[in-house]
Amino acid sequence: MAGLRGVSRPARSLPLSQLSRPACLAYPAYLTCSRRSVSTQAAESPAVLRDLETDSTLGAPQLSPDEKRQFKPWKRAADRKGFGLPGSRYQFHPPKYNRGPLHPIQSPPSSDPTARDFVPGPFNMPRLRQTYQATIASDIMTLAYNHIPPGTPSREQPERLRDWDGSSEYHKNRPKRGPRGSPVLPLVEQNITFRNIPEITEVTIASYAPQAAKDPEHLLVARTILLAITGTTPEITRTKSSVVQWGIIEGQRAGVKTTIHGNAAYEFLDRCIHIVFPRIKDWKGIRATTGDSSGNLAFGFTPEEVALFPEIEVNYDMYPSKMIPGCRVFVKTTATSDRQARLLLQTMGVPFYGEIRN
Amino acid sequence: MGKLPSTLLRRPTSLYTSPSTSTATTGPSGPSSPRCLLQHQQLRHATFVLRPRRPYQFTQLVQLSDGSTFTVRTTMPSALYKSTKDSRNHVLWQPTEKSLRNIEVDEAGKLAAFRDRYGRGWDTEEVPDEEAEAAAAATQTAHVEAKKAEATQDQQDAAGEDPFDSLVDLISSYSKFDPNTKGGKSAKDAARDEGKKRR
Repeated sequence: MAGLRGVSRPARSLPLSQLSRPACLAYPAYLTCSRRSVSTQAAESPAVLRDLETDSTLGAPQLSPDEKRQFKPWKRAADRKGFGLPGSRYQFHPPKYNRGPLHPIQSPPSSDPTARDFVPGPFNMPRLRQTYQATIASDIMTLAYNHIPPGTPSREQPERLRDWDGSSEYHKNRPKRGPRGSPVLPLVEQNITFRNIPEITEVTIASYAPQAAKDPEHLLVARTILLAITGTTPEITRTKSSVVQWGIIEGQRAGVKTTIHGNAAYEFLDRCIHIVFPRIKDWKGIRATTGDSSGNLAFGFTPEEVALFPEIEVNYDMYPSKMIPGCRVFVKTTATSDRQARLLLQTMGVPFYGEIRN
Repeated sequence: MGKLPSTLLRRPTSLYTSPSTSTATTGPSGPSSPRCLLQHQQLRHATFVLRPRRPYQFTQLVQLSDGSTFTVRTTMPSALYKSTKDSRNHVLWQPTEKSLRNIEVDEAGKLAAFRDRYGRGWDTEEVPDEEAEAAAAATQTAHVEAKKAEATQDQQDAAGEDPFDSLVDLISSYSKFDPNTKGGKSAKDAARDEGKKRR
């Protein structure tokens, strides 16, 4: 049987009597030759391709008007209704409530199509995301490459929290103090490496409509517009504090916002960059001073610019034109500094103008 | 979506081990028994599994002005969207495309005649003064020539040494002084200045 081991797996399944015959007679050449090549196989395996149809559907003759008239898929569906599932047939309904991991009745995972929180998709690969994966990510990594010769001692990070001086006995085990002047500890910029390439996490679109206090229609219009732009149902925001001069009272419903993640975020940005920005009259770009110094950039649209979105433009008459709100867009990235986030958006095609701060 | 991490919910083992619960189970008529049981029982209310609200989205084919197409998910019901103005035919994104530049066509000489009469005050873009430009160019050429002469002398001094022998010199020669990176106005000041310019 030692000889059998040298033979390939499909050949081994054949009966021994066939194996003993001269190889060139028993089976096709691609089993016997040690090296297979595509050019020799192509000519010799028409059996596989015999199932393929050679004529294309585009060449099929067109339907006559009579045939078209007789084609009524809705009628076919209506006729079929009698054969549908009976109402009494058992159907699985997932539980309405999650009662914890120890409960005997468990809801199916959200990936299950029967689950209540199942969301179908993805239905397409966003162009911008594909571009990011194919070119932008590697470009950013190459651009920001910083060569450190092996063996270089790593630089000590200075302590950012302030120590207690120990003048009092009570300083023992006290947690360290934050930086002087501000209660916020800013993020430390991380180097861009192969496993730390900034990317878009989410996009938040917010619209503030303080006129809604007097006329709640404003809220409805803002909501409809954000829904049309993003494809998600926005939530209503309330004013944080009351300002007498502006006539706003704390807790009033005065705006809408929505957050989109993943594919939707990429598609929204793609539409902004390639379709909406170029249509804005005399647009210079996004002001380069934007950013919260931890890698999240923001820009805004005036009401006229919001109307340039193709989803709004297609039925612009539907919206009362005076009520169309402007909106602010906050792009959240995994970058830890503004300049890295700017680099990401610049490679995606967002122009920046003006002075650069950080 | 309404899911709690399972690590938070431990099996209430203390129910079987702790003496208080054992007393509670043995003596249900005791005054403290209901309290003890409540203490050790797992408290978890049911969370409603929300059905996500998903406005209907269509798959749309977008055709940019250069003919490239791609699909998007959108709330717009039209199957094909052809854009007339986008980043493919905009100067800001295609700076090398000459056809997109805003070049003045003045074949009949009417614009020139207007300028002769009324001056350049109505021009939207500022045209650089030709004389000043020529003077600047002249000074620059002179400067460059002087530098060249200096460089050749240096080369002679260095006896054939390559000016870019080390990589660091080459790199540092590319880095230019950028006034933008040196901080500047606050956002408020910048906005104010911009408003002034517009006026």
